Amino acid sequence: MSATRSPRRYGRLLFAALPIGWVTVLLLLPYLFLFAHSFFRLVDGQLTHQLTLENYGRLFGTALYPNTILFSAGIAARVTLASLCLAYPLAYLLAFKVRRHKNLLYMAVIIPLWVSYLVRAYAWKIILGQEGVLNGFLMSVGIIREPLAVLLYSKWAVMLALVHIYTPFTLMPIYAVLEAIPPALKEASTDLYASRWQTFRHVVLPLSLPGVVAGCTFAFVLSMGDFIAPILLGGNDSALMVSNLVVSLFGVAFNWPLGAAVSVVMLTMTVTLLTMARKLEDRWGGGPAGRRLDAPTTGGMGRGALHA
Amino acid sequence: MQSSLFVRATVLAALGTLSACGGDKGGAAAHGPATKISIQATSDAGADAATYLKQLCPKPLGGELNFMVWEGYTDTLFTKPFEQACGVKVNATYMGSSDDLVAKLRAGGAETIDLVSPSSDAITQIIDAGLAQALDLARIPSYGDLMASFRDLSMARREGSVYGLPWAFGPNPLIYDTTKVKPAPTRWADLWDPKYRGKLSMQDDIATLWMAAQTLGFDQAADRAHLYNLSDEELGAVKTKALALKPNIRKYWATAGDMTQLFQSGEIVAGEGWPLMTAQLRAAGFPAGEIIPEEGTTAWADHWVLTKGARNLDAAYAWLEYAAQPFTQKLMADVTNYIVANPTAKRYMSPDQVATQRDIADYGTKVNFWQWSPRRERYTEIWNEVKAAK
Repeated sequence: MSATRSPRRYGRLLFAALPIGWVTVLLLLPYLFLFAHSFFRLVDGQLTHQLTLENYGRLFGTALYPNTILFSAGIAARVTLASLCLAYPLAYLLAFKVRRHKNLLYMAVIIPLWVSYLVRAYAWKIILGQEGVLNGFLMSVGIIREPLAVLLYSKWAVMLALVHIYTPFTLMPIYAVLEAIPPALKEASTDLYASRWQTFRHVVLPLSLPGVVAGCTFAFVLSMGDFIAPILLGGNDSALMVSNLVVSLFGVAFNWPLGAAVSVVMLTMTVTLLTMARKLEDRWGGGPAGRRLDAPTTGGMGRGALHA
Repeated sequence: MQSSLFVRATVLAALGTLSACGGDKGGAAAHGPATKISIQATSDAGADAATYLKQLCPKPLGGELNFMVWEGYTDTLFTKPFEQACGVKVNATYMGSSDDLVAKLRAGGAETIDLVSPSSDAITQIIDAGLAQALDLARIPSYGDLMASFRDLSMARREGSVYGLPWAFGPNPLIYDTTKVKPAPTRWADLWDPKYRGKLSMQDDIATLWMAAQTLGFDQAADRAHLYNLSDEELGAVKTKALALKPNIRKYWATAGDMTQLFQSGEIVAGEGWPLMTAQLRAAGFPAGEIIPEEGTTAWADHWVLTKGARNLDAAYAWLEYAAQPFTQKLMADVTNYIVANPTAKRYMSPDQVATQRDIADYGTKVNFWQWSPRRERYTEIWNEVKAAK
């Protein structure tokens, strides 16, 4: 018996070792290194292992860093709101109103995720440029005379691209939660003479909140960590988000300790946000549709993780 | 993303260690001096390169060479014939900026990359940090054919050793659309004119701060290093000047392709760029004009540098000797429009192209070659502040 049992046990161990090793080597250790680096000191441009709090002092003492973090959070908040406004009605339609070709429509929403981020960002350049498709159309129908410069290389272009890219991420968890609401609950509400609006307000909406929280967390964390949209579509008011700052500190400035400190602050913000989101889900997630959708734990890595 | 950079750096470092353990195929065995190959020159640079390479590599050397270079320096036009004749696979990565190159080399890249093409600023830092190896000039017999004023530049020398093979140099000119900018600009200061609102592009780099400093008259002919070591007070003035230019900036460019695309799609009419862009734009039929403004401009001088960890030395020295040849440099000039280090390259050029070639000595005090400075990180922070300002 034991001869047959032990290989199985080894197999199980091996099975567990893979994900644990993966998480340890690719997630925990790098974060640990990052955390340690934020306390190291740079002497004459060389990294030393002397411990210091200088990096955090400089981070909070120089307007550039907190301001850029706040600016990025502002962009992310607006992107989140816009994504939610687009994703919720769409998810609602998909879950309750569409009968035929439901899967086809769901795929239509998801398929853009398969197209490279860069391709989608470049597509916006073609659409929004001064000699682009949109300006050309607006001028040909006589709405504007001169091309609108504000469409491209501006804060709006950055936000538009981020909303386009992260709306499917918001939609998926909301759709999953809405789909799980048993039709019986809505029927019961109608039987009790609730109007459509009342049913939505008192039954559907509360039950869908965990999905809303998860979706919003996705959109916020991913767009806050984005650094490609500002480079490709940002103009003189929007070329620098916090991740561009981190890229600059780790790259051209060769100040890893300060870069690590900025990253740790970002990571702390992300983790706080995820914890809050989880608390909210716990509170709202008790009903029959209370399938808990764990927020993305890799969120802090943003696009970089996908491009690495 | 914060961690992914870190992961990347760690992986790079790990790979560096692995490849260092992996043994070297090229062989670091001692080699005697190479003899200079002379060929019967024709007027066709490509044909001469082929003839030359047959003699340079009578049999394939094998192995690979990893380059980290500026865009355009490993164009297939002259890299492919070398790869085929010498049986060496060239893997090239582009660098985004001088600091980018230094950071990559420091983060373990000096072990995985064989040859780099640093500009006049980064080369000092690379030599000082011990990331380069001195060149064995006996193995590059054509070194003496290169422009004397270029070989004399102090940044590629240290304690009697030569670390860099002169390759190309060029100023950062003001490039403009000749159909839209009339009369032609003569000074950087012209760019602050409100008529250029939203019509310019500047490099996403501290080079733009240097340009602003030159406009303010902070570049002193007697002390070229001053531009790179401005006091906090002077930097404050530079920042204010750079901020005043913001309304005129449509987008900051990151790559040569960025800038040419901005011109071609009608987004901008002028900006600071590289001669490469003028060449690319003109090749595409775009009416690009180029001037060295009255205030002077910063310039770069690029050398080929062998990294500390370079192992395939036979192939590396074959490349360096090939890189010094007039036909190779003519082919590079075709791609980049840069001023090349071997003046005999003019033999292959049309009169128009010959007109683009100058001797460093001709520029006098008009150009200031980029220098390294301990103040550089402060400049980078100020540049980020300029970008962050709304």
